[in-house]
Amino acid sequence: MNEDVSISPELIGQLIDGTIDSDNAQRLLRLERKDKGRFFQYIDALQQRVAWPEKILLRLGDKLYIVASAPGKRVVKCACGHEFGDYRQNWKLGCKIRVKRTLDDMLTVYDPAPACPEPDIQEIREFFCPVCASQHAVEVVAPGYPVVFEMLPDLDKFYREYLGRPLPDEGSDWYQDRTDLVTREWAKAG
Amino acid sequence: MAHAFDNRTQLSPPGKEVRHQTLKQMFEKRDRLTQQTGHYCGVSELTLRAADPIKYERFYNKLHAAVLAARESARFVAASPGSREMGESLWGLATPEGDTLAVSLGFLSHTAIFPVSVRYMAEKEYDVNDGIEDGDVYAVSDGLTGGVPHPGDFYTFVAICYEGEIVGWAVGINHLMENGAPVAGSWATFSVDTFMDGLVCPPMRTGRKLKQESWWKAIWQRRTRAATMNILDDKMRLAGCAMVHDATHKLIKEFGLDYYKRATREVIEESRRMIVDNMHALMVPGTYNGCAFRLVKYKGLQQIWSHADKNTLLHIRASVEPNDKGLLVDTEGSSRWGYHSYNATPGGADAALFLGMMNSFAHNTKVTAGIELAVQRHYPSGSLYNPDYEFTSNANLWAQTVSLNSIGFNAVSRAMFSRGYLEEAFTVDGNWGAWQGSGQTDEGVSYGFTNFEWLGGTGRGAWCYKDGEPIVWAAWSQLATCGDAEEFESCVPPLFYLGRKLLPGYFGHGKYRGGPGNSAVHWCVKPGKHIAVTRPNGGLSCTTSVGLGMSGAYPGPGSFMISARGTNLPALIETGETPRDARELLELIDAGKLEVENLEIWKTDCPELALKDNDLFVDAAGSSGGWGDPLDRDPALVINDLNDGMAPRYEFTANLYGIVATVDAADVWTLDAGATAARRAAMRQARIGDSQTAQAWWASERTRVLARDFIPEVREMYEQSMSFGKFDNEFRKFWQVPAAFNFPKE
Repeated sequence: MNEDVSISPELIGQLIDGTIDSDNAQRLLRLERKDKGRFFQYIDALQQRVAWPEKILLRLGDKLYIVASAPGKRVVKCACGHEFGDYRQNWKLGCKIRVKRTLDDMLTVYDPAPACPEPDIQEIREFFCPVCASQHAVEVVAPGYPVVFEMLPDLDKFYREYLGRPLPDEGSDWYQDRTDLVTREWAKAG
Repeated sequence: MAHAFDNRTQLSPPGKEVRHQTLKQMFEKRDRLTQQTGHYCGVSELTLRAADPIKYERFYNKLHAAVLAARESARFVAASPGSREMGESLWGLATPEGDTLAVSLGFLSHTAIFPVSVRYMAEKEYDVNDGIEDGDVYAVSDGLTGGVPHPGDFYTFVAICYEGEIVGWAVGINHLMENGAPVAGSWATFSVDTFMDGLVCPPMRTGRKLKQESWWKAIWQRRTRAATMNILDDKMRLAGCAMVHDATHKLIKEFGLDYYKRATREVIEESRRMIVDNMHALMVPGTYNGCAFRLVKYKGLQQIWSHADKNTLLHIRASVEPNDKGLLVDTEGSSRWGYHSYNATPGGADAALFLGMMNSFAHNTKVTAGIELAVQRHYPSGSLYNPDYEFTSNANLWAQTVSLNSIGFNAVSRAMFSRGYLEEAFTVDGNWGAWQGSGQTDEGVSYGFTNFEWLGGTGRGAWCYKDGEPIVWAAWSQLATCGDAEEFESCVPPLFYLGRKLLPGYFGHGKYRGGPGNSAVHWCVKPGKHIAVTRPNGGLSCTTSVGLGMSGAYPGPGSFMISARGTNLPALIETGETPRDARELLELIDAGKLEVENLEIWKTDCPELALKDNDLFVDAAGSSGGWGDPLDRDPALVINDLNDGMAPRYEFTANLYGIVATVDAADVWTLDAGATAARRAAMRQARIGDSQTAQAWWASERTRVLARDFIPEVREMYEQSMSFGKFDNEFRKFWQVPAAFNFPKE
């Protein structure tokens, strides 16, 4: 067991930036047990790479984070600084959405033509940050499919039981899917 | 000869009055102790390991060496090409209840079915009437009673008894070349129930004393189209099992029966603990959701099977939720079972789901049944994964269960990405393809076949820090290899490879692109009296392999096939300009050089295609998805792809990645960095302009939902998935539809 192994901040930075060489990537892949300290090293490296001060609690995507924006507030935030709102609500509903429904549209992202999904059976949804236009997600799903909440973390359990560093604003209602509060408001708005 | 005992004790050797537990009693004890204590068979302390770890590891290494040696020897005793050269085989050793102790290299998750088969034998009291003896040989290929993924995967179980007591099972598995269904090959597409799935064997004794009965050979000869290959494989499986059987007896003699019994329990408990610990160390608790779709295109069968005469859009839905005991995979919301070949059974679903779980969490421990104890599964009754009809077909289940595995595997990737173990985070698609069929030579020799090539080696999805690699990946085996073209040609005399290569541009795009899929051009020469092919696939291109891209990338496209019958190929051969892949075939047709009387592009299952001289069929499979926003891709990587031929069309590539480049007389592309930056800025602006707010999109889509304005296949998919409460609740909450709203049965 190599439980006491530690990885250099430089190597973690190279992983984040995509500059790691294959030998080092292989060394990391071959670890029998992962280095336990990685998460907070990773968070530190990510924090250095964003231009805003809010504390990163978890990385959801290449340019998407859950941050502690204020005491008792945990929101999803884009690398550009745009905030999507409470992380318990699917952040995709704060995006701008472009849908490719026709074969011609789909052929702009799939090639050769026989590899292209079939219209009416599938549509391609692209989810953009409304400020910087980063494409945070793609869904290729049936028309009418509810937008998928890809990942709702149980942050309190993660920080307390997995990392041993409980969050200061623990509460019993953090691990809840509250996406329907958004759609309920939209329904009221007609 | 065994005898039945009224008092339900197991057979003991003559003259010895030792009475042992029945299999049913063993299961009852195993289940009770495991459930009561949370530890496998109540093993709360690893006492043997603690007392003498060297002895304990020596014991396990001998077990493990036995199954490794079984594979490496048996496949050279006798085997079809798919088993000898590729990863489509496996040997294992299991406890009396079928819980895995050790496995060889190969398609490792097939161990999931061992306890299903043995439990069936226990419930039906095989050991009571008329007894199970040392060296008895059982054949298994049924999904319901044996847990077998599909009947093309064939299992040989050999009982290991010691002093009359069942102490374990040696098991050998391989993917047959042909299994005797109406649709020739090893995945019977277009089956509507199990009676069309080919050679389906519930656990049945076919031999004794490590030797098959004479009648068994006749089954292969009369009930399959590839008797020679299948008999070779049968000998291979049994030869490996005999080695494991022998090694186990020696091990018990060396270590003693008591040590063997205790140590085998400890081995599984040890690995269960390690797997749970790995899940805790690598995952982030929470809920991960994923989905995928498959189109079953059966419309047109009404002349024969009217009840199956419909197209079905399958919905594959799963969530992954880590917990204190490991993690839960819940498939509620997936479609109901149907009269088609894409159904699974719980055992078959396990065999798929455990692929990613074993790869992710059993990498640093003994590969045992520990994974089954740590991964809790919910397959609702009546669903695609747990049909409430006993005669469903499961002949082509891998076409959709592979995406169930991908959903679970991608949840692990998302977790590792969030935890910072980026080196492990990559996109999983699991797209595969193969082709199969039957023929008869001019001399009257009939044959059946399966070509596993694009099942053996596929592109690996993009990592979160680099592009995916071509051909190196097969989620279902550590042994990624597309096999030997010469071997496959020898199995199918009229079909020759005109080309076999990576297919440029055939991947999901993103900041990092997926590994490209593969394509081959098969040329029919002197077909004899008859040859026809079909093609099963792990996802056909009318849907993507999985529904969600990773971090803003596009998921990998599905597989497809092109048949070009009635060609002027000899004229092209004269000029030396023949197609090597699907793209080249289409380009030669567009250029008017390749003339085709009957050109068909198949994005769903194709019926049997009979081939004549100079007919071509071209396949493509094994693509994989990207990672990240394509506009974040390093322009230099895009230029590399253009210059390497990986991105074949400049216009497509430039429009997708937002680059501007120029090409010189030697076809070398050079980036225009300034114009690229400007173009990307304009494309980002266009994204804002071309898109709707989520609220506006939701409002217009909701109108469509309320009007049920979808094609019948989509409406039926929602009707089926909303018959399960979890998805019904999600759908209603998301679209805020009235309580009375539903998708009626049509």
